[in-house]
Amino acid sequence: MFVLIYFVFLTVCFLASAYFNQRTAFMLTFSLFMISMILFIVGGDAALRSVAIGAALLAGAAAVSFGFKEFLVQMADGDAGAFLRGGMMLPVMGVFALLAFASAYLGWGVTEVFITLVVLALILAPMSPDFAKELRTAPLTAAFGMFVIFVVSIMAIYAPLIAPYGEAEVISSAFAPRDESLLLGADQLGRDMFSRVIYGARNTVTLALLGTTLAFILGAMAGLLAATKGGMFDQAMGRTADVIMSIPSLIFALLMLSIFGGSLASPSTSFYLLFGFAIIVGLLFLAAAAEGAMGWVIGAAVMIGAGLAFAAAGTTIFDASEVILILVVAVIYSPRVFRLTRAVAGNVVVMDYIEAAKLRGEGNWYLIRREILPNSTAPLVAEYGLEFCFVFLLIAGLSFLGLGIQPPTADWGSMVRENATLISFGDPTPLIPAAAIALLTIAVNFVVDWMLFRSSGLKEQ
Amino acid sequence: MAEQKKEVLLKIRDLKIQGYTDETWIDIIKGVDLTLHRGEVMGLIGESGAGKSTIGAAAMGYARDGTRITDDSSIEFDGMELTTASEGERRALRGSRIAYVAQSAAASFNPAHKLIDQHTEAPLQYRIKKRVEAQEDGVELYRRLRLPNPDEIGFRYPHQVSGGQLQRAMTAMAMSCRPDLIIFDEPTTALDVTTQIEVLAAIRDIVEQFNTAALYITHDLAVVAQMADTIKVLLKGNEVEQAPTEEMLNNPKEDYTKSLWAVRDFTSPQRYRPKDGVPLISVKNVDASYTGGAKVLDDVSFDIYEGMTVAVVGESGSGKSTTARCITGLLPPSKGEILFRGEPFEPDYRKRPREQLRQCQMIYQMADTALNPKVKISEIIGRPAQFYSGLTGAALKNRVDELLDLIELDPSKFYNRYPPELSGGQKQRIGIARALAAEPTFIVCDEVTSALDQLVAEGILRLLDKLQNELKLAYMFITHDLATVRSIADEVVVMQYGKVVEQGPKDDMFKPPHHPYTDLLLSSVPEMDPNWLTTLLEERGVDNVGDAASAKMAEQSK
Repeated sequence: MFVLIYFVFLTVCFLASAYFNQRTAFMLTFSLFMISMILFIVGGDAALRSVAIGAALLAGAAAVSFGFKEFLVQMADGDAGAFLRGGMMLPVMGVFALLAFASAYLGWGVTEVFITLVVLALILAPMSPDFAKELRTAPLTAAFGMFVIFVVSIMAIYAPLIAPYGEAEVISSAFAPRDESLLLGADQLGRDMFSRVIYGARNTVTLALLGTTLAFILGAMAGLLAATKGGMFDQAMGRTADVIMSIPSLIFALLMLSIFGGSLASPSTSFYLLFGFAIIVGLLFLAAAAEGAMGWVIGAAVMIGAGLAFAAAGTTIFDASEVILILVVAVIYSPRVFRLTRAVAGNVVVMDYIEAAKLRGEGNWYLIRREILPNSTAPLVAEYGLEFCFVFLLIAGLSFLGLGIQPPTADWGSMVRENATLISFGDPTPLIPAAAIALLTIAVNFVVDWMLFRSSGLKEQ
Repeated sequence: MAEQKKEVLLKIRDLKIQGYTDETWIDIIKGVDLTLHRGEVMGLIGESGAGKSTIGAAAMGYARDGTRITDDSSIEFDGMELTTASEGERRALRGSRIAYVAQSAAASFNPAHKLIDQHTEAPLQYRIKKRVEAQEDGVELYRRLRLPNPDEIGFRYPHQVSGGQLQRAMTAMAMSCRPDLIIFDEPTTALDVTTQIEVLAAIRDIVEQFNTAALYITHDLAVVAQMADTIKVLLKGNEVEQAPTEEMLNNPKEDYTKSLWAVRDFTSPQRYRPKDGVPLISVKNVDASYTGGAKVLDDVSFDIYEGMTVAVVGESGSGKSTTARCITGLLPPSKGEILFRGEPFEPDYRKRPREQLRQCQMIYQMADTALNPKVKISEIIGRPAQFYSGLTGAALKNRVDELLDLIELDPSKFYNRYPPELSGGQKQRIGIARALAAEPTFIVCDEVTSALDQLVAEGILRLLDKLQNELKLAYMFITHDLATVRSIADEVVVMQYGKVVEQGPKDDMFKPPHHPYTDLLLSSVPEMDPNWLTTLLEERGVDNVGDAASAKMAEQSK
């Protein structure tokens, strides 16, 4: 019966596409028809079923992506982000982020709401009619990527509300099979797999996001400054980056983590390391912005204050081993960002408008902020997406090796390792977190591809 | 020749080309007809955006990315319809029967291969000649195009050859298969006048010798007058008129054509130095060189008085722009000094106080790179006013409006726009406004009109002149275009190889006797007379024009 319906459906499809002169649709459906015949002969009913399920999944993903894209287009067309543009965006986001932090610290219980508002502001800000025009021409893959990222971020923010059980709650026997209440079964200690995947999104994604952001702040600032200042400063920065890059990144991470991280991490070391990182970034900012001796003194005071606050906040939100992990990732990835930023900014610095600004007597900070940065954001944003994937995979890999996120915290990488024994019994459970990693990475890459296409004009012929 | 001309080679009928913008197809070329006979040279003339290059490409059956040739157009090349021909058939024509010479030879040659290897590529591809034969033919063509050392020059890489020589090598390359039609897309626009003349003479000779038909695309009327048998004037994708060269030059029919012809009429009256004033800027015995290099400037001195325009002329590499960099402080001179109202200027701009920086502003040649594409017009103009005068809020807005009025752009329309949304002339005006916003006394204009069409350039020159009269500005006007000098300058400084060869008031400079180099420059400026090139070559001989002559002169002065 199923086979009959299947073939009738395909026949109708290719006849219809032939009738309406849709060349590609016809080629697609007809070749699928031929392949299905062979598959039916070789694999029988079951093979056709899996083909049908695959096609339905693909069609479903395409439909959802299309819907999501249309939704974004409508929002952008309505100029939903108008009120956020013109300098409003950063203050609004800052206020919400502070409120979220306060709520987490004082236990108001509305942290998620504020974080959602921050994310919303981030999504709404670029929504303008111009953006709508570009969205319309975006490929479905990009829309699919955006949709996946959207879903993962919802999962991460509302993890405690979505997950049926707690992160480390033992609720059944080890490796219990999946049923009504355990959607994906249980892991090696009898914890709910589904809940842990959702919590894992929160932990892994947050750490990867933070690590990438810190790497970007450090690398981009150094790169911009090196391109504007040139000379000795450029050389010094470049050689430092070369030294860090010359050590294989995984080995370097293992080395650093076995010194500072893992179970050895103590809150005070992580506080000092975080503070040290803040001072390095602060020095870069000062080198760009400070004017005269007074500027340096005031700047240094502000920097130390901000550094202490940053370190305190970091150590309260995350536990010591996570802080170390973020820092290690930031240090390892910042040289790549540095190189890219320096190259991009190097192309901008030679423009006549930079010369005009220099002749006007503008300082480095104005040059970087108003003249160079707006002209290098597009490749930097694309690189951010790309680096996020690498960082994400590195963290997952480190967790898999047992050096990253520490148990019992759920994390996609370590979940693969914990359940790895099941592979030899032909059970797909360890593949679920692996699939989650793959899906998110691919989704981010889809979006990045689209952005690269947009910014650099990688026109396909 | 007369019989040959009757045979039609290229016939374009009702050509419409559309471009895809804002999700719709818009006509770029709106129905142009064109008939070209064998051995005929047709000049296509018009401002940028008139569709000259697009028609040139369409003559090869090629539409650029994002454009398409509509179905009802017809392009017939030697009896073959190109619009319906397959891509393979069209490819077989290109290079062998239709060749293309691009504007920038330096950008069009592959820097990784020797000239002769690129030259022989087409004949080998079409199996017309063996490699050795093709190379011998290349040397022969180089000889006919009067390239120096024709036996040896082909074995150099593109970067080892000067711009004018590259352009001639490219013409030789286009000739390598003896095509029926060559499309010249502004081949001399990027060259100095002295170099241009050699290229023009070479192109004209070779086209005549092989009886090749050519489409000559340019915006310079005087150039097209030398080259073309007929001239077609285009405006925004429409044909304005077409006539044989003589007739077109002597009595153009349409108003637009007349306005093109009249561009060179603008002249500002000559001003003279005040009797006993201190010069505003005085360059005193300046030597300069880039890090580790040879001297680029050698004992350069001249004065610029308040409210006057000093034009600095010379071919590229003569040190005009380097002088400007010394004055603005970008390149501290190795010897000598710059005085401002008798007071020395700091040699390095980083050490100059704001008050000195504001006195001396720059306007750049390429408005595209001189304006930050990601910053609003209001901020581009407003920033200097804010930076130097500390204006904020409503006062700043008023100042920006006032400046936009000064440069004759409507403030309400342009206030919130970004540079990429403006035309070339508008961008250049914004560049001027940015310089004015600092309220300077002195502005360096570095080739400000050379990237613009003649009509637009004239508008810019008139604006600069008007501003000068209103605000008592002094200009240092760097240019290689002597027509511009004639229209706007009060004094002229002629530079060659980093030295000042001659200087004086404009009226004296354009009257003989000249320094030999000034004479060479002046005689190289194309005139509207279609026989100008022929007469000049007869008078001076082929070896006494262009680079050859200026090299000879340098030889003698040593």
